[in-house]
Amino acid sequence: MSEYLRTMFDKFELRVRKGYYYTEDGLWASLEGARVRIGVSDYLQRIGGDVAFIELAKHGSIIERQKEIGVLETVKAAFSLLSPISGQVEEINPMILEKPELINSDPYGEGWLVILTPINLETDLKILMRSEDYFQLMLKKLETEHGNLGSR
Amino acid sequence: MGKALGSVSREATYELVEHIGKGITETICLALLVSGDEDALQLVRSNKCITIDGCPLQCAEKNVKFAGGDLAASFRVIDVLAQNRNLKPKRVTFIDRDGIQLAQAVAEEVAKEVGKLLRE
Amino acid sequence: MTYHSKKKVGIVSCSGEGCVEGTISRVATRLVLEELRPENTVTICLPLFLAGGTEDRAFAKSYPTITVDGCGKLCAKIGTERYSGKTASSIVITDLIRNCSRSKLRSRRRLDDKTLTVARKIAVKIAQEVDNIIEQ
Repeated sequence: MSEYLRTMFDKFELRVRKGYYYTEDGLWASLEGARVRIGVSDYLQRIGGDVAFIELAKHGSIIERQKEIGVLETVKAAFSLLSPISGQVEEINPMILEKPELINSDPYGEGWLVILTPINLETDLKILMRSEDYFQLMLKKLETEHGNLGSR
Repeated sequence: MGKALGSVSREATYELVEHIGKGITETICLALLVSGDEDALQLVRSNKCITIDGCPLQCAEKNVKFAGGDLAASFRVIDVLAQNRNLKPKRVTFIDRDGIQLAQAVAEEVAKEVGKLLRE
Repeated sequence: MTYHSKKKVGIVSCSGEGCVEGTISRVATRLVLEELRPENTVTICLPLFLAGGTEDRAFAKSYPTITVDGCGKLCAKIGTERYSGKTASSIVITDLIRNCSRSKLRSRRRLDDKTLTVARKIAVKIAQEVDNIIEQ
């Protein structure tokens, strides 16, 4: 069974990783024991464009849910990344600081952003979308936005 | 074809071969090289090559290497963009002012490398 | 699960940096994508396609394609047929501008007004080919 929900739009395959939690903006949260890994969805990296630069919250900083955990600067624009959950930054992905293009090429894998120790996980998870719901949201966005996915 | 930075890499190349490096640099169609055109293969194998890629997939660099070309240096427009964050080329078909400026910055970086190669 | 929007046609275009016809090919294709038929066309990056780009090749196998070549080397047409199957239509710029003196086509870097007019006419022709394919 695939780890992903998938759809094709034009020539692009867009994937949503099963078992992750999502914000409407397209950030994902993956539970790993007592910690939570955060990244951006395939859809978000696709509409955002090629990542040129990423700024992330400092190690040790406390981030509230829906507050800025970083800024993603692509060839198109700068995107404020709002944290899916409240927590303390335990790890920052060193690879993406050197190779931000990993966010485009492997958004659910090597392109992860940060790892947090959650503060209020149970409450925060109730607000997030499950993968199936985010997938439906993504399909709706594709329909209404006619896939402004770049490479047009 | 589909990205603004692709247009920038094209413009940077022209700036080099038609202006800064006129007479000492030339360009070839990447598609010709990837198709296996004999003249294109001969050109990259018998001259030092510099690639300029508009996207992180780096087709130019990869394909010059694959063709057995003498790859002296490779540049990515996105790396120059990271050093020039005020420039945000938006247009793909007809390059805009930011795109031209970014292309100029890319061309200048590449020109330094051309200079080095000529001194060797 | 597959999501289908409107019927799409893939345009595989040469963007040959070496000659003005390559630039015309590129601009004409872009005009179709951006202005004339934005909802029915998708561009395919030719170097990536030739080098093995899986998404581009898969698309070109599943959807009709129009190839636009700047010169008689036919990189787009030959490549598409090799990796994804027969094209629905093939356009070669040098055939279309046979009657236009090459000296009148100036810069490959920036199309002047006359050459841009040529590119726009070719864009209209490509758009007509898109319509023909969609109507089938």
